[in-house]
Amino acid sequence: MIQTLAFYLFAVLVTASATMVILSRNPVHSVLWLILSFFNAAGLMVLVGAEFIALLLVIVYVGAVAVLFLFVVMMLDIDFSELRAGFMKNFPIGVAIAVVLLTELVLGIGAYRAGALQLGAPTGDAVPIPGRGNIDSLGAVLYTDYLFLFEAAGIILLVAMVGAIVLTHREQKATRGHQNIGKQVRRNPDEATVMKQPEVGAGVEL
Amino acid sequence: MVDLSQYLPILLFLFIALGLSALFVFLPMGVSRLTGAHNPDAEKLSEYECGFPAFEDPRSQFDVRFYLIAILFIVFDLEAAFLFPWAVSLDLTGWPGWITMMIFLGELAVGLAYAWKVGALEWD
Amino acid sequence: MDYTASLYATGAEIGLSIAGLILLLVSAWTGTRYARLVTILAAAALFGAMIFSGHLMAESTAELTGDAFGGLFRADAFAGFAKILIYAATIACLVVTPKFFDARRQYRSEYPVLMLFGAVGMGMMVSAVDLLTLYIGLELSSLASYVLASFARDDMRSSEAGLKYFILGALASGILLYGMSLVYGFAGSTNYLAIRIAFADGFGTGAMFGVVFVLAGLAFKVSAVPFHMWTPDVYEGAPTPVTAFFASAPKVAAVVVLARMALDPFAGQIASWQQIVIFAALASIVVGALGAIGQNSLKRVLAYSSINNVGFILIGLAAASAAGASAMLVYLAIYVPMTIGSFAALLMLRDEDGNALETFDDIAGLVTRRPAIAWSLLLLMFSLAGIPPLFGFWGKFVVFQAAVEADMIALAAIGIAASVIGAFYYLKFVKVMFFDDRTERGIATSPAGHWAVLILAAVIVSPLGYLLTQPLGAWADRAATSLFIPV
Repeated sequence: MIQTLAFYLFAVLVTASATMVILSRNPVHSVLWLILSFFNAAGLMVLVGAEFIALLLVIVYVGAVAVLFLFVVMMLDIDFSELRAGFMKNFPIGVAIAVVLLTELVLGIGAYRAGALQLGAPTGDAVPIPGRGNIDSLGAVLYTDYLFLFEAAGIILLVAMVGAIVLTHREQKATRGHQNIGKQVRRNPDEATVMKQPEVGAGVEL
Repeated sequence: MVDLSQYLPILLFLFIALGLSALFVFLPMGVSRLTGAHNPDAEKLSEYECGFPAFEDPRSQFDVRFYLIAILFIVFDLEAAFLFPWAVSLDLTGWPGWITMMIFLGELAVGLAYAWKVGALEWD
Repeated sequence: MDYTASLYATGAEIGLSIAGLILLLVSAWTGTRYARLVTILAAAALFGAMIFSGHLMAESTAELTGDAFGGLFRADAFAGFAKILIYAATIACLVVTPKFFDARRQYRSEYPVLMLFGAVGMGMMVSAVDLLTLYIGLELSSLASYVLASFARDDMRSSEAGLKYFILGALASGILLYGMSLVYGFAGSTNYLAIRIAFADGFGTGAMFGVVFVLAGLAFKVSAVPFHMWTPDVYEGAPTPVTAFFASAPKVAAVVVLARMALDPFAGQIASWQQIVIFAALASIVVGALGAIGQNSLKRVLAYSSINNVGFILIGLAAASAAGASAMLVYLAIYVPMTIGSFAALLMLRDEDGNALETFDDIAGLVTRRPAIAWSLLLLMFSLAGIPPLFGFWGKFVVFQAAVEADMIALAAIGIAASVIGAFYYLKFVKVMFFDDRTERGIATSPAGHWAVLILAAVIVSPLGYLLTQPLGAWADRAATSLFIPV
C-alpha cells in the first residue's frame, strides 16, 4: 500500500518536474526543476531496491552534473527568448514527429498486447548475497570479477580530466600577481639603483 | 519488494525538517501581514537599484574556468562515489579489492598531479 | 581467478596504460619543451605493445582456453592481428604529427598521451569477449578521439569537428548501450559465450531489437552508410594527422569488433544480421563512390573513399565464413597503409607559409613541382581504386572471392560494378596532378618522417606488396579461424 502510494508520488513528481524542465522560460529554473526530478528518480530507485543507483543519482547527478549544467547555462551567451521565437515556425514539424512516434508506440504496444510480438522472457541469474544489501553485493563483484574494467573506467575518468584541461586551460600570459618574494628580499641598494652624472644637454642613457 | 520500514527515520526527519522550515518562512510573513500596514503600489514593488532604473539582465556570463573546475569536481565526485561500495564490501573482496581500489586511486592521483602542475587548479 | 595469466594476456594494455600515466606526468613537469621526446617514447611504447601482441598471437592455440579476468578479455590470434595493425597505424600517425602542429606552435605533449590511451581503448575493444569490456574500451578510445579532433582549439573548424564528433558519437554510444542492455536482458549475460549459447536456438523479437541496435551503434563507429553523415565533416575539420588516425586505427578496431560481435555471440542468428550487413556494404560502396564526385576538398574526398572502402570490408563480413573474415583482415591490412600514405602525402602538400594545399586546384600539375609525391599519390590512388598490378586489387579480390564462395554472386557483382564508379574520382586525382596546368604556388620541403611514412606506404601498395600475400594470408587465416572455434 505505502509502496504503491510512494511510487505514484515519485512518478508523478518526476514527470511533472521533467515537463517543467522543458516548459520553464528561464534556463536556470530548468536546471532547478531537473534537480527536483533527479531527487524523485532517486526515490524511485530506492523503491525498486537499487540503492546504489539512488545514491549515485543524489551524489553525482544532483551534486555535480546539475552544478555543471548551471555553469554551462550561465556560461553560454544565448538569448533564450530569441531561441524560442522559432517555436511557432517549427511547431507543425514537431507535431508531425510527435504523431509519428505516438503511432509507432501505440502500434508496438498494441501488437505486443495482441500477442503478435514474441519478445521472449528476460532472464538473469544475478543473485544478491544473502544477508547483505544491494551495495555490498555490487561491491563484491565490482572490485573482484570486474576489476579490469574498473581500472579501465579510472583511465576513462583520467582521459576526461586531461581532455578538459587540454581544451580549456590556457597558460597565463601575463605573470601579474605572481610576486617572487625571495627575489624581492634579495635585492640590495647597490643593484637596484644606479648613480648617473648626466652632462648638460646630453640626457641619460640607462 | 524492498522493506521500506528501514527508511522510516529519514522520512520522519524529512517531514520535521519540511515542517520547521515552512514554519520559519511563513510564520513571519503571516505575522507581519496581520500586524503591519499593507498598501503596495507599482513604485514600491519595482526593484531598487541606487535610484537608477535597472538597465541590463542581472545574469552575467560566467568564465569558462568555472566549467573546468566543475569537470574536475565531477571526476573526483565519481571517485568518491565508487569508494562507498568498496568500503562496505571490503570483507568480501579482501586484498584483491583493496589493491584494485589503490590502483584506481593512483590513476586519479596522477590526474590530480597533472592538473595541479599545469595550473588548472589556479584561478589567476 | 588466475591473476598471473590474466595480467599476461592483457600485458599490452597494461603496459601502454602505465606508459601513458608516466608520460602524462612527464608532460606535466616538462611542459611543451620535450613534446618531441614524449612522442618518441609513446611510439616506442606502442612498438613494444606491437611486439608483445605479435608474441601472444604466435603462441595462441587453436582452441578455447580460459579468457582473462573470468571471461572479460581474450587475447586470441584475431585480436592479435587487429592490435598489430592498430598499433602500427598509431605509430605512423605519431610520426607525421609533430611537424604539422609545429608550424602553428600548437603541439603539446598531451597529444601522444591521448593517442596512447586511445590505443589502450582500441586494444580492449578488439579483445573484448564481454559487452562491458567492449563498451568501456569503446568509450576510452572515443573520448580520446573527441579531444584529438578539437586539439587545434584556436581553429574554428577543428573545434566544430570535435563538437560534431562528440555529439554524434555520444548518440551512437547511447544506441549501442541500449542494444547491449536488451541483449543482456534477453540472454541473461553480457559474456559473448553465454550470449551465443542463449541465442543458439532461436530468439525473440526483443533480442532481435537488441542485435539491431548494437549493429547500428557499431555501424556508426565504422562510418558505414546510413550512419556515415558525420565522416566528411569531421575528417575535413579535424587536423590532418588526426584525420589520418581516425581513418586508420579506430576504423580497424570498430570493423574488427563488428566482425567478432557478428560471428561470435550472434553466430547462431546469422540471418538476423546478414541482411543488415549486406545493405550497409552496398550502400557504403555506392554512397562512398557517388558522394565524392562533386567534392573539391581533398580531405572530404578521402573521407568518402574511407566510407567506400568500409563497404568492401563489410562484403567480407556478409559472407559469414572463415574465408570472409580472413578476407576482411587482409583488406584491412592493405587499407591501413593506403589511407595513411594518402594522408601523409596530403600533409606534405603545403606552401612556403605553411598553409595546407587542400583542394584539387592546389595540386594541379603537381608532377612538375614535386614528382616524388605525385608518383606516390598515383600509386596510392590506383591502389585505392583497385587497379590490378597494385596491392589494393588483392584486397578487393579476396573479399569478392569470399563472397562468391558463400554463394553471394549478386552481391559481388554489384560491388564490382560500383567499384568502377569509385575509380572515377581516384583517377581525377591522377588527371589533376599529371595533366592539368600547374599553379604557381610553391610547395615547402617536407620533413624526413613524412617521407619515410609515404615511401613505406607506397612500397607496400606497389606490386612489391604481392611478396606479402603469402605470410599475410597465412596470418589472416590463422586469425580468422580463431573466431570459429566451436563452443
